[in-house]
Amino acid sequence: MDRTAAPQRQQGEIGERRAGIGQILKKHLWGYLFLLPALLIFAMFLWLPIIKGFFYSFYHVDFVKGNSFVGFDNYKTVFHDSDVGISIRNTLYYMGLALVMGFWVPIVFAISISEVRRFQGILRIAAYLPNVIPVVVLYGLWRWFYDPVGPINAAITKTVGGEGVSFMTDTSWSMISLVFMETWQQFGAAMLLYLAAILSVPRDWYEAAEIDGAGVWMRIRHITLPSIKNLILLMLLLQLIGTSQGFQSQLAMLDGGPNNATLTYALLIVKYATTRLELGVASAMGVLMFIVLSVLAIIQFRLQHKGDN
Amino acid sequence: MKLEERGILSRYDLRKPFNRTVYVIMLLVVIVMACSMIYPVLVAMFNAFKTNTEVNSFPPTFLPNEGWHWSNLKQAWNYIDLPIFLRNTMFIFIGNMVVTVGVLGLAAFSLSKLQVPKAKHISMFFLITLFIPPTTYLIPNFLNLKDLGLINTFAAFWLPAGASAFNLLLLKNFFDGLHQEMFEAARIDGASELRCFAGLALPLSIPIIATLAIFVFSTAWNDWFWPSLVMHNDSKYPLSTAIYKYVISARGLGLNIRFAILFMVMLPPIVVFLVFQRFIMRGLNLGGVKG
Repeated sequence: MDRTAAPQRQQGEIGERRAGIGQILKKHLWGYLFLLPALLIFAMFLWLPIIKGFFYSFYHVDFVKGNSFVGFDNYKTVFHDSDVGISIRNTLYYMGLALVMGFWVPIVFAISISEVRRFQGILRIAAYLPNVIPVVVLYGLWRWFYDPVGPINAAITKTVGGEGVSFMTDTSWSMISLVFMETWQQFGAAMLLYLAAILSVPRDWYEAAEIDGAGVWMRIRHITLPSIKNLILLMLLLQLIGTSQGFQSQLAMLDGGPNNATLTYALLIVKYATTRLELGVASAMGVLMFIVLSVLAIIQFRLQHKGDN
Repeated sequence: MKLEERGILSRYDLRKPFNRTVYVIMLLVVIVMACSMIYPVLVAMFNAFKTNTEVNSFPPTFLPNEGWHWSNLKQAWNYIDLPIFLRNTMFIFIGNMVVTVGVLGLAAFSLSKLQVPKAKHISMFFLITLFIPPTTYLIPNFLNLKDLGLINTFAAFWLPAGASAFNLLLLKNFFDGLHQEMFEAARIDGASELRCFAGLALPLSIPIIATLAIFVFSTAWNDWFWPSLVMHNDSKYPLSTAIYKYVISARGLGLNIRFAILFMVMLPPIVVFLVFQRFIMRGLNLGGVKG
Protein backbone atom coordinates (compact mmCIF):
# COMPACT_ATOMS: atom_id res chain seq x y z
CA MET A 1 0.00 0.00 0.00
CA ASP A 2 2.89 2.29 0.76
CA ARG A 3 4.29 1.80 -2.70
CA THR A 4 1.15 2.97 -4.40
CA ALA A 5 0.57 5.87 -2.07
CA ALA A 6 4.09 7.28 -2.22
CA PRO A 7 4.29 8.25 -5.89
CA GLN A 8 0.89 9.86 -5.71
CA ARG A 9 1.91 11.99 -2.80
CA GLN A 10 5.10 12.94 -4.59
CA GLN A 11 3.17 13.98 -7.64
CA GLY A 12 0.93 16.10 -5.49
CA GLU A 13 3.89 17.79 -3.92
CA ILE A 14 5.52 18.45 -7.25
CA GLY A 15 2.26 19.84 -8.55
CA GLU A 16 2.05 22.16 -5.62
CA ARG A 17 5.65 23.22 -6.04
CA ARG A 18 5.05 23.95 -9.71
CA ALA A 19 2.20 26.22 -8.80
CA GLY A 20 4.85 28.36 -7.15
CA ILE A 21 5.03 30.11 -3.84
CA GLY A 22 3.39 33.17 -5.29
CA GLN A 23 0.25 31.32 -6.23
CA ILE A 24 0.03 29.53 -2.89
CA LEU A 25 0.32 32.86 -1.16
CA LYS A 26 -2.36 34.32 -3.39
CA LYS A 27 -4.72 31.44 -2.76
CA HIS A 28 -4.16 31.44 0.97
CA LEU A 29 -3.51 35.15 1.40
CA TRP A 30 -6.18 35.56 4.07
CA GLY A 31 -5.11 32.43 5.89
CA TYR A 32 -1.57 33.71 6.26
CA LEU A 33 -2.67 37.25 7.02
CA PHE A 34 -4.79 35.89 9.87
CA LEU A 35 -1.80 34.01 11.22
CA LEU A 36 0.59 36.92 10.92
CA PRO A 37 -0.25 38.84 14.14
CA ALA A 38 -0.08 35.69 16.25
CA LEU A 39 3.20 34.64 14.62
CA LEU A 40 4.71 38.05 15.31
CA ILE A 41 3.53 38.14 18.91
CA PHE A 42 4.67 34.61 19.65
CA ALA A 43 8.06 35.40 18.12
CA MET A 44 8.45 38.71 19.96
CA PHE A 45 7.13 37.82 23.39
CA LEU A 46 7.79 34.11 23.71
CA TRP A 47 10.49 32.83 21.40
CA LEU A 48 12.65 35.95 21.59
CA PRO A 49 12.87 35.87 25.42
CA ILE A 50 13.51 32.13 25.35
CA ILE A 51 16.43 32.58 22.95
CA LYS A 52 17.64 35.76 24.64
CA GLY A 53 17.83 33.83 27.91
CA PHE A 54 20.71 31.79 26.52
CA PHE A 55 22.55 34.93 25.47
CA TYR A 56 21.96 36.83 28.70
CA SER A 57 23.34 33.88 30.66
CA PHE A 58 26.78 34.76 29.23
CA TYR A 59 26.49 38.46 29.95
CA HIS A 60 26.70 40.67 32.98
CA VAL A 61 23.48 42.64 32.70
CA ASP A 62 23.86 46.25 33.74
CA PHE A 63 21.08 48.73 33.05
CA VAL A 64 23.32 51.76 33.38
CA LYS A 65 26.66 50.81 31.83
CA GLY A 66 25.32 48.29 29.33
CA ASN A 67 25.82 44.54 29.13
CA SER A 68 29.28 43.00 29.01
CA PHE A 69 30.29 39.50 27.94
CA VAL A 70 31.58 37.44 30.87
CA GLY A 71 31.80 33.92 29.43
CA PHE A 72 30.88 31.22 31.90
CA ASP A 73 31.18 33.47 34.99
CA ASN A 74 27.44 33.44 35.64
CA TYR A 75 27.40 29.64 35.60
CA LYS A 76 30.41 29.56 37.93
CA THR A 77 28.53 31.83 40.33
CA VAL A 78 25.59 29.44 40.27
CA PHE A 79 27.75 26.39 40.96
CA HIS A 80 29.63 28.10 43.79
CA ASP A 81 26.51 29.43 45.50
CA SER A 82 25.57 27.18 48.41
CA ASP A 83 22.01 28.56 48.31
CA VAL A 84 21.46 26.79 44.98
CA GLY A 85 21.83 23.35 46.58
CA ILE A 86 19.49 24.36 49.39
CA SER A 87 16.95 25.71 46.92
CA ILE A 88 16.98 22.51 44.84
CA ARG A 89 16.43 20.43 47.97
CA ASN A 90 13.62 22.75 49.06
CA THR A 91 11.98 22.54 45.63
CA LEU A 92 12.03 18.74 45.68
CA TYR A 93 10.68 18.79 49.24
CA TYR A 94 7.93 21.18 48.16
CA MET A 95 7.00 19.00 45.17
CA GLY A 96 6.90 15.90 47.38
CA LEU A 97 4.83 17.57 50.08
CA ALA A 98 2.37 18.88 47.50
CA LEU A 99 1.93 15.31 46.23
CA VAL A 100 1.57 13.73 49.67
CA MET A 101 -0.59 16.44 51.22
CA GLY A 102 -2.46 17.82 48.26
CA PHE A 103 -2.75 15.62 45.23
CA TRP A 104 -5.34 13.15 46.53
CA VAL A 105 -7.54 15.78 48.18
CA PRO A 106 -9.56 16.87 45.14
CA ILE A 107 -10.10 13.24 44.08
CA VAL A 108 -11.46 12.24 47.48
CA PHE A 109 -13.72 15.27 47.71
CA ALA A 110 -14.94 14.83 44.14
CA ILE A 111 -15.98 11.24 44.87
CA SER A 112 -17.59 12.31 48.15
CA ILE A 113 -19.47 15.25 46.69
CA SER A 114 -20.67 13.15 43.75
CA GLU A 115 -22.45 11.01 46.34
CA VAL A 116 -24.12 13.91 48.14
CA ARG A 117 -27.69 14.03 46.87
CA ARG A 118 -28.82 17.41 48.10
CA PHE A 119 -27.08 20.79 48.14
CA GLN A 120 -24.41 19.54 45.75
CA GLY A 121 -24.45 22.91 43.99
CA ILE A 122 -23.70 24.76 47.23
CA LEU A 123 -20.80 22.44 47.99
CA ARG A 124 -19.33 23.03 44.55
CA ILE A 125 -19.60 26.78 44.96
CA ALA A 126 -18.07 26.65 48.43
CA ALA A 127 -15.13 24.55 47.22
CA TYR A 128 -14.49 26.93 44.34
CA LEU A 129 -14.82 30.08 46.45
CA PRO A 130 -11.09 30.53 47.32
CA ASN A 131 -10.29 30.51 43.60
CA VAL A 132 -12.38 33.64 43.20
CA ILE A 133 -10.63 35.65 45.91
CA PRO A 134 -7.34 37.26 44.80
CA VAL A 135 -4.42 35.18 46.08
CA VAL A 136 -2.78 38.15 47.76
CA VAL A 137 -5.86 38.63 49.91
CA LEU A 138 -5.66 34.97 50.92
CA TYR A 139 -1.97 35.40 51.75
CA GLY A 140 -2.96 38.25 54.06
CA LEU A 141 -5.65 36.18 55.75
CA TRP A 142 -3.48 33.10 56.17
CA ARG A 143 -0.65 35.12 57.68
CA TRP A 144 -3.07 35.88 60.46
CA PHE A 145 -4.43 32.32 60.69
CA TYR A 146 -0.89 31.02 61.12
CA ASP A 147 0.05 33.76 63.57
CA PRO A 148 1.33 32.56 66.97
CA VAL A 149 -1.74 34.30 68.44
CA GLY A 150 -4.02 33.45 65.52
CA PRO A 151 -7.16 31.29 65.49
CA ILE A 152 -5.46 27.99 64.60
CA ASN A 153 -3.12 28.24 67.56
CA ALA A 154 -6.01 29.30 69.76
CA ALA A 155 -7.86 26.13 68.74
CA ILE A 156 -4.76 24.01 69.38
CA THR A 157 -4.06 25.42 72.85
CA LYS A 158 -7.73 25.13 73.75
CA THR A 159 -8.18 21.51 72.69
CA VAL A 160 -4.72 19.92 73.00
CA GLY A 161 -3.10 22.41 75.33
CA GLY A 162 0.61 23.14 75.33
CA GLU A 163 2.55 25.82 73.58
CA GLY A 164 0.98 26.01 70.14
CA VAL A 165 2.94 25.85 66.92
CA SER A 166 4.81 28.65 65.19
CA PHE A 167 3.66 27.63 61.73
CA MET A 168 5.58 30.29 59.89
CA THR A 169 8.80 30.78 61.85
CA ASP A 170 9.57 27.14 62.69
CA THR A 171 11.74 25.84 59.85
CA SER A 172 10.29 22.34 60.05
CA TRP A 173 6.71 23.68 59.81
CA SER A 174 6.98 26.57 57.36
CA MET A 175 6.91 24.59 54.10
CA ILE A 176 4.17 22.29 55.39
CA SER A 177 2.09 25.32 56.33
CA LEU A 178 2.50 26.78 52.85
CA VAL A 179 1.52 23.53 51.14
CA PHE A 180 -1.52 23.18 53.39
CA MET A 181 -2.61 26.70 52.51
CA GLU A 182 -2.12 26.14 48.80
CA THR A 183 -4.01 22.86 48.89
CA TRP A 184 -6.90 24.53 50.64
CA GLN A 185 -6.85 27.34 48.14
CA GLN A 186 -6.47 25.38 44.91
CA PHE A 187 -8.20 22.04 45.29
CA GLY A 188 -11.61 23.40 44.30
CA ALA A 189 -10.69 23.96 40.66
CA ALA A 190 -9.20 20.47 40.30
CA MET A 191 -12.16 18.99 42.16
CA LEU A 192 -14.63 20.44 39.64
CA LEU A 193 -12.75 18.72 36.81
CA TYR A 194 -12.72 15.39 38.65
CA LEU A 195 -16.37 15.79 39.57
CA ALA A 196 -17.37 16.32 35.95
CA ALA A 197 -15.45 13.19 34.96
CA ILE A 198 -16.92 11.10 37.79
CA LEU A 199 -20.48 12.19 37.02
CA SER A 200 -20.04 11.13 33.40
CA VAL A 201 -19.38 7.50 34.40
CA PRO A 202 -22.49 5.51 33.34
CA ARG A 203 -24.64 4.68 36.35
CA ASP A 204 -25.50 1.15 35.13
CA TRP A 205 -21.88 0.07 35.56
CA TYR A 206 -22.30 0.51 39.29
CA GLU A 207 -25.65 -1.27 39.13
CA ALA A 208 -24.08 -4.23 37.33
CA ALA A 209 -21.13 -4.36 39.73
CA GLU A 210 -23.43 -4.25 42.71
CA ILE A 211 -25.51 -7.13 41.35
CA ASP A 212 -22.27 -9.05 40.91
CA GLY A 213 -21.59 -8.47 44.58
CA ALA A 214 -18.95 -5.74 44.48
CA GLY A 215 -18.82 -3.67 47.66
CA VAL A 216 -18.66 0.12 47.71
CA TRP A 217 -14.88 0.25 47.92
CA MET A 218 -14.55 -2.30 45.09
CA ARG A 219 -16.84 -0.17 42.93
CA ILE A 220 -14.71 2.93 43.54
CA ARG A 221 -11.47 1.00 43.07
CA HIS A 222 -12.48 -0.86 39.89
CA ILE A 223 -14.96 1.49 38.19
CA THR A 224 -14.61 5.09 39.35
CA LEU A 225 -10.83 5.37 39.58
CA PRO A 226 -10.05 3.59 36.28
CA SER A 227 -12.59 5.82 34.50
CA ILE A 228 -10.77 8.95 35.58
CA LYS A 229 -7.27 7.50 35.28
CA ASN A 230 -6.28 9.68 32.35
CA LEU A 231 -7.44 12.81 34.10
CA ILE A 232 -5.51 11.82 37.23
CA LEU A 233 -2.33 11.35 35.19
CA LEU A 234 -2.84 14.68 33.45
CA MET A 235 -3.39 16.47 36.76
CA LEU A 236 -0.33 14.76 38.23
CA LEU A 237 1.80 16.00 35.35
CA LEU A 238 0.35 19.51 35.61
CA GLN A 239 0.94 19.58 39.35
CA LEU A 240 4.56 18.46 39.02
CA ILE A 241 5.18 21.08 36.35
CA GLY A 242 3.51 23.73 38.49
CA THR A 243 5.19 22.94 41.79
CA SER A 244 8.64 22.61 40.24
CA GLN A 245 8.33 26.31 39.39
CA GLY A 246 6.56 27.44 42.53
CA PHE A 247 7.73 30.59 44.24
CA GLN A 248 4.82 33.01 44.70
CA SER A 249 3.45 31.84 48.03
CA GLN A 250 7.00 31.36 49.35
CA LEU A 251 7.86 34.92 48.33
CA ALA A 252 4.67 36.54 49.57
CA MET A 253 4.30 34.67 52.85
CA LEU A 254 7.89 34.23 54.03
CA ASP A 255 10.29 35.73 51.50
CA GLY A 256 12.14 32.41 51.41
CA GLY A 257 12.74 32.37 55.14
CA PRO A 258 12.96 31.33 57.93
CA ASN A 259 16.63 30.52 57.43
CA ASN A 260 16.09 29.71 53.73
CA ALA A 261 13.63 26.92 54.60
CA THR A 262 11.21 27.96 51.88
CA LEU A 263 13.74 29.18 49.34
CA THR A 264 12.77 27.33 46.16
CA TYR A 265 14.81 27.31 42.97
CA ALA A 266 12.39 29.63 41.18
CA LEU A 267 12.41 31.97 44.15
CA LEU A 268 16.21 32.07 44.03
CA ILE A 269 15.98 33.06 40.35
CA VAL A 270 13.67 35.89 41.36
CA LYS A 271 15.98 36.92 44.19
CA TYR A 272 19.00 37.01 41.91
CA ALA A 273 17.05 39.30 39.62
CA THR A 274 15.41 41.59 42.17
CA THR A 275 17.49 41.86 45.34
CA ARG A 276 20.94 40.68 44.22
CA LEU A 277 20.59 42.49 40.86
CA GLU A 278 22.49 39.77 38.98
CA LEU A 279 20.11 39.30 36.06
CA GLY A 280 22.72 37.39 34.09
CA VAL A 281 23.00 34.82 36.87
CA ALA A 282 19.21 34.64 37.03
CA SER A 283 19.15 33.90 33.29
CA ALA A 284 21.85 31.25 33.71
CA MET A 285 19.75 29.57 36.42
CA GLY A 286 16.80 29.59 34.04
CA VAL A 287 18.90 27.97 31.33
CA LEU A 288 20.13 25.30 33.76
CA MET A 289 16.56 24.57 34.83
CA PHE A 290 15.54 24.32 31.18
CA ILE A 291 18.35 21.83 30.48
CA VAL A 292 17.56 19.67 33.52
CA LEU A 293 13.83 19.60 32.76
CA SER A 294 14.47 18.78 29.08
CA VAL A 295 16.79 15.92 30.00
CA LEU A 296 14.19 14.58 32.44
CA ALA A 297 11.49 14.84 29.77
CA ILE A 298 13.67 12.95 27.27
CA ILE A 299 14.49 10.21 29.80
CA GLN A 300 10.83 9.88 30.70
CA PHE A 301 9.88 9.69 27.01
CA ARG A 302 12.54 7.01 26.35
CA LEU A 303 11.50 4.94 29.37
CA GLN A 304 7.87 5.11 28.37
CA HIS A 305 8.65 3.89 24.86
CA LYS A 306 10.80 1.09 26.20
CA GLY A 307 7.88 0.08 28.39
CA ASP A 308 5.61 0.03 25.35
CA ASN A 309 7.88 -2.43 23.56
CA MET B 1 -40.57 -0.39 39.47
CA LYS B 2 -39.31 3.12 38.94
CA LEU B 3 -35.63 3.33 38.17
CA GLU B 4 -34.17 5.31 41.02
CA GLU B 5 -31.28 7.70 40.56
CA ARG B 6 -28.11 6.28 41.94
CA GLY B 7 -24.43 7.02 42.10
CA ILE B 8 -21.69 4.75 43.33
CA LEU B 9 -23.96 4.00 46.29
CA SER B 10 -27.42 2.57 45.93
CA ARG B 11 -30.23 2.86 48.46
CA TYR B 12 -29.52 -0.71 49.49
CA ASP B 13 -25.92 0.10 50.46
CA LEU B 14 -27.02 2.69 52.98
CA ARG B 15 -29.05 0.09 54.89
CA LYS B 16 -25.82 -1.55 56.02
CA PRO B 17 -24.67 0.04 59.29
CA PHE B 18 -20.99 0.15 58.33
CA ASN B 19 -21.67 1.93 55.05
CA ARG B 20 -24.05 4.24 56.84
CA THR B 21 -21.47 5.36 59.39
CA VAL B 22 -18.84 5.88 56.71
CA TYR B 23 -21.33 7.89 54.67
CA VAL B 24 -22.22 10.08 57.64
CA ILE B 25 -18.54 10.67 58.43
CA MET B 26 -17.99 11.57 54.80
CA LEU B 27 -20.87 14.04 54.90
CA LEU B 28 -19.40 15.62 58.02
CA VAL B 29 -16.00 15.98 56.37
CA VAL B 30 -17.57 17.58 53.32
CA ILE B 31 -19.52 19.98 55.51
CA VAL B 32 -16.38 20.89 57.47
CA MET B 33 -14.62 21.50 54.17
CA ALA B 34 -17.41 23.81 52.99
CA CYS B 35 -17.33 25.70 56.29
CA SER B 36 -13.56 26.10 56.10
CA MET B 37 -14.01 27.70 52.70
CA ILE B 38 -16.55 30.21 53.96
CA TYR B 39 -14.80 30.82 57.29
CA PRO B 40 -12.04 33.15 55.94
CA VAL B 41 -14.63 35.34 54.26
CA LEU B 42 -16.55 35.70 57.51
CA VAL B 43 -13.37 36.24 59.52
CA ALA B 44 -12.29 39.03 57.22
CA MET B 45 -15.72 40.58 57.50
CA PHE B 46 -16.04 40.42 61.28
CA ASN B 47 -12.44 41.44 61.93
CA ALA B 48 -12.97 44.44 59.71
CA PHE B 49 -15.47 45.83 62.20
CA LYS B 50 -13.50 45.21 65.41
CA THR B 51 -11.28 47.57 67.32
CA ASN B 52 -7.58 46.98 66.84
CA THR B 53 -7.15 45.72 70.42
CA GLU B 54 -9.92 43.16 69.93
CA VAL B 55 -8.38 41.82 66.71
CA ASN B 56 -5.05 41.40 68.49
CA SER B 57 -6.53 39.72 71.57
CA PHE B 58 -5.84 36.07 72.29
CA PRO B 59 -7.76 33.81 71.95
CA PRO B 60 -9.36 35.61 68.98
CA THR B 61 -13.06 36.34 69.05
CA PHE B 62 -15.23 35.43 66.07
CA LEU B 63 -17.94 38.09 66.24
CA PRO B 64 -17.09 41.66 67.18
CA ASN B 65 -17.93 41.85 70.88
CA GLU B 66 -17.13 45.50 71.42
CA GLY B 67 -19.57 46.87 68.90
CA TRP B 68 -19.40 47.25 65.14
CA HIS B 69 -16.96 49.93 64.11
CA TRP B 70 -18.15 51.06 60.73
CA SER B 71 -15.59 53.83 60.68
CA ASN B 72 -12.94 51.16 59.94
CA LEU B 73 -14.32 50.84 56.44
CA LYS B 74 -14.00 54.55 55.82
CA GLN B 75 -10.44 54.57 57.16
CA ALA B 76 -9.59 51.59 54.96
CA TRP B 77 -11.14 53.25 51.93
CA ASN B 78 -8.98 56.31 52.49
CA TYR B 79 -5.79 54.33 53.17
CA ILE B 80 -5.11 53.41 49.54
CA ASP B 81 -6.77 54.58 46.38
CA LEU B 82 -8.66 51.38 45.56
CA PRO B 83 -10.64 52.73 42.56
CA ILE B 84 -7.44 53.63 40.67
CA PHE B 85 -5.97 50.16 41.20
CA LEU B 86 -9.26 48.53 40.28
CA ARG B 87 -9.35 50.61 37.12
CA ASN B 88 -5.82 49.45 36.24
CA THR B 89 -6.82 45.80 36.72
CA MET B 90 -9.87 46.23 34.50
CA PHE B 91 -7.71 48.06 31.98
CA ILE B 92 -5.33 45.11 31.82
CA PHE B 93 -8.18 42.61 31.64
CA ILE B 94 -10.02 44.34 28.81
CA GLY B 95 -6.86 44.87 26.77
CA ASN B 96 -5.79 41.26 27.28
CA MET B 97 -9.22 40.06 26.25
CA VAL B 98 -9.25 42.14 23.06
CA VAL B 99 -5.80 40.88 22.08
CA THR B 100 -6.67 37.28 22.95
CA VAL B 101 -9.84 37.22 20.87
CA GLY B 102 -8.41 39.32 18.06
CA VAL B 103 -4.96 37.82 17.59
CA LEU B 104 -5.48 34.26 18.82
CA GLY B 105 -9.00 34.08 17.39
CA LEU B 106 -7.79 34.97 13.89
CA ALA B 107 -4.90 32.52 14.13
CA ALA B 108 -7.09 29.72 15.47
CA PHE B 109 -9.66 30.36 12.74
CA SER B 110 -6.98 30.22 10.07
CA LEU B 111 -5.49 27.00 11.43
CA SER B 112 -8.87 25.38 11.87
CA LYS B 113 -10.89 26.48 8.85
CA LEU B 114 -8.69 27.95 6.11
CA GLN B 115 -6.51 24.91 5.23
CA VAL B 116 -3.32 26.87 4.77
CA PRO B 117 -0.36 24.76 3.56
CA LYS B 118 2.19 23.94 6.30
CA ALA B 119 -0.46 24.43 9.00
CA LYS B 120 1.15 21.56 10.94
CA HIS B 121 4.50 23.31 11.11
CA ILE B 122 2.93 26.59 12.07
CA SER B 123 0.96 24.89 14.85
CA MET B 124 4.23 23.43 16.12
CA PHE B 125 5.70 26.93 16.28
CA PHE B 126 2.84 27.89 18.59
CA LEU B 127 2.34 24.74 20.62
CA ILE B 128 5.94 23.84 21.50
CA THR B 129 5.90 26.87 23.80
CA LEU B 130 3.48 24.92 26.00
CA PHE B 131 6.33 22.60 26.94
CA ILE B 132 8.78 25.30 28.00
CA PRO B 133 8.23 26.22 31.65
CA PRO B 134 7.73 29.99 31.99
CA THR B 135 10.05 30.25 34.99
CA THR B 136 13.03 29.31 32.83
CA TYR B 137 12.61 32.52 30.83
CA LEU B 138 10.99 34.67 33.53
CA ILE B 139 13.90 37.10 33.82
CA PRO B 140 14.81 37.15 30.09
CA ASN B 141 11.14 37.94 29.47
CA PHE B 142 11.47 40.97 31.70
CA LEU B 143 14.72 42.00 30.01
CA ASN B 144 13.08 41.55 26.62
CA LEU B 145 10.24 43.90 27.57
CA LYS B 146 12.85 46.36 28.77
CA ASP B 147 14.73 46.10 25.46
CA LEU B 148 11.48 46.76 23.62
CA GLY B 149 10.82 49.81 25.79
CA LEU B 150 7.54 48.45 27.13
CA ILE B 151 8.38 48.61 30.84
CA ASN B 152 5.84 50.64 32.78
CA THR B 153 3.29 50.56 29.96
CA PHE B 154 0.07 48.60 29.74
CA ALA B 155 1.20 47.25 26.39
CA ALA B 156 3.61 45.06 28.36
CA PHE B 157 0.54 43.08 29.43
CA TRP B 158 -1.67 43.43 26.37
CA LEU B 159 0.73 42.28 23.68
CA PRO B 160 2.15 39.20 25.48
CA ALA B 161 -1.46 38.19 26.23
CA GLY B 162 -1.58 37.17 22.57
CA ALA B 163 1.25 34.69 23.15
CA SER B 164 -0.74 32.01 24.95
CA ALA B 165 -0.60 28.62 23.29
CA PHE B 166 -3.16 27.26 25.75
CA ASN B 167 -5.79 29.82 24.81
CA LEU B 168 -4.99 29.29 21.15
CA LEU B 169 -5.60 25.58 21.55
CA LEU B 170 -8.86 26.24 23.37
CA LEU B 171 -10.13 28.45 20.53
CA LYS B 172 -8.88 26.13 17.79
CA ASN B 173 -10.57 23.10 19.33
CA PHE B 174 -13.82 25.02 19.50
CA PHE B 175 -13.56 26.20 15.88
CA ASP B 176 -12.86 22.62 14.82
CA GLY B 177 -16.34 21.75 16.05
CA LEU B 178 -18.03 24.34 13.80
CA HIS B 179 -19.31 23.01 10.47
CA GLN B 180 -17.20 23.77 7.44
CA GLU B 181 -20.29 23.86 5.17
CA MET B 182 -21.54 26.98 6.92
CA PHE B 183 -18.41 28.87 5.96
CA GLU B 184 -18.52 27.49 2.41
CA ALA B 185 -22.09 28.78 2.09
CA ALA B 186 -21.08 32.19 3.38
CA ARG B 187 -18.20 32.31 0.91
CA ILE B 188 -20.51 31.43 -1.99
CA ASP B 189 -22.75 34.29 -0.89
CA GLY B 190 -19.72 36.53 -1.27
CA ALA B 191 -18.54 36.93 2.30
CA SER B 192 -14.84 37.66 2.73
CA GLU B 193 -12.76 35.55 5.11
CA LEU B 194 -12.72 38.41 7.58
CA ARG B 195 -16.51 38.52 7.43
CA CYS B 196 -16.65 34.76 7.95
CA PHE B 197 -14.57 35.20 11.08
CA ALA B 198 -16.19 38.26 12.58
CA GLY B 199 -19.74 37.62 11.41
CA LEU B 200 -19.97 33.84 11.77
CA ALA B 201 -17.22 32.23 13.80
CA LEU B 202 -17.08 34.79 16.62
CA PRO B 203 -20.81 34.97 17.38
CA LEU B 204 -20.95 31.17 17.35
CA SER B 205 -18.08 30.89 19.80
CA ILE B 206 -19.57 33.04 22.56
CA PRO B 207 -19.41 30.09 25.00
CA ILE B 208 -15.69 29.57 24.57
CA ILE B 209 -15.04 33.31 24.63
CA ALA B 210 -16.88 33.45 27.95
CA THR B 211 -14.64 30.66 29.24
CA LEU B 212 -11.58 32.53 28.00
CA ALA B 213 -12.85 35.65 29.71
CA ILE B 214 -12.94 33.76 33.02
CA PHE B 215 -9.35 32.57 32.55
CA VAL B 216 -8.05 35.94 31.37
CA PHE B 217 -9.87 37.72 34.16
CA SER B 218 -8.56 35.45 36.87
CA THR B 219 -5.01 35.97 35.61
CA ALA B 220 -5.38 39.74 35.55
CA TRP B 221 -7.10 39.68 38.92
CA ASN B 222 -4.66 37.33 40.68
CA ASP B 223 -1.30 38.19 39.20
CA TRP B 224 0.68 40.32 41.62
CA PHE B 225 4.31 39.38 41.09
CA TRP B 226 4.73 40.04 37.37
CA PRO B 227 3.08 43.50 37.48
CA SER B 228 5.32 44.42 40.40
CA LEU B 229 8.33 43.73 38.15
CA VAL B 230 6.98 45.39 35.03
CA MET B 231 5.24 48.45 36.47
CA HIS B 232 7.21 51.03 38.41
CA ASN B 233 4.54 53.57 39.01
CA ASP B 234 2.01 53.70 41.83
CA SER B 235 -0.66 54.87 39.45
CA LYS B 236 -0.17 51.85 37.19
CA TYR B 237 -0.23 48.93 39.63
CA PRO B 238 -3.15 46.56 39.33
CA LEU B 239 -5.16 45.83 42.45
CA SER B 240 -3.35 42.64 43.49
CA THR B 241 0.09 44.21 43.31
CA ALA B 242 -1.07 47.26 45.22
CA ILE B 243 -2.58 45.09 47.96
CA TYR B 244 0.67 43.15 48.20
CA LYS B 245 2.86 46.23 48.34
CA TYR B 246 0.78 48.48 50.56
CA VAL B 247 -1.30 46.12 52.69
CA ILE B 248 0.32 42.68 53.00
CA SER B 249 3.91 43.88 53.36
CA ALA B 250 3.00 47.10 55.15
CA ARG B 251 4.24 47.57 58.69
CA GLY B 252 2.44 49.64 61.25
CA LEU B 253 -0.94 49.28 59.60
CA GLY B 254 -3.62 48.35 62.12
CA LEU B 255 -4.78 44.76 61.79
CA ASN B 256 -8.43 45.76 61.74
CA ILE B 257 -7.86 48.27 58.94
CA ARG B 258 -5.90 45.61 57.07
CA PHE B 259 -8.83 43.22 57.33
CA ALA B 260 -11.22 45.96 56.27
CA ILE B 261 -9.21 46.51 53.08
CA LEU B 262 -8.96 42.78 52.38
CA PHE B 263 -12.69 42.44 52.96
CA MET B 264 -13.53 45.27 50.58
CA VAL B 265 -11.29 43.71 47.93
CA MET B 266 -12.71 40.20 48.23
CA LEU B 267 -16.35 41.26 48.31
CA PRO B 268 -16.92 42.31 44.66
CA PRO B 269 -15.53 39.12 43.06
CA ILE B 270 -17.49 36.94 45.49
CA VAL B 271 -20.72 38.78 44.68
CA VAL B 272 -20.06 38.57 40.94
CA PHE B 273 -19.23 34.88 41.30
CA LEU B 274 -22.38 34.09 43.28
CA VAL B 275 -24.60 35.99 40.84
CA PHE B 276 -23.11 34.41 37.72
CA GLN B 277 -22.09 31.08 39.25
CA ARG B 278 -24.27 29.06 36.88
CA PHE B 279 -22.51 30.51 33.83
CA ILE B 280 -19.09 30.47 35.40
CA MET B 281 -19.35 26.81 36.41
CA ARG B 282 -20.52 25.90 32.91
CA GLY B 283 -17.70 27.91 31.38
CA LEU B 284 -15.12 26.22 33.59
CA ASN B 285 -16.43 22.81 32.59
CA LEU B 286 -16.21 23.74 28.92
CA GLY B 287 -12.60 24.83 29.38
CA GLY B 288 -11.79 21.68 31.30
CA VAL B 289 -13.26 19.34 28.73
CA LYS B 290 -11.80 21.13 25.75
CA GLY B 291 -8.41 21.88 27.25
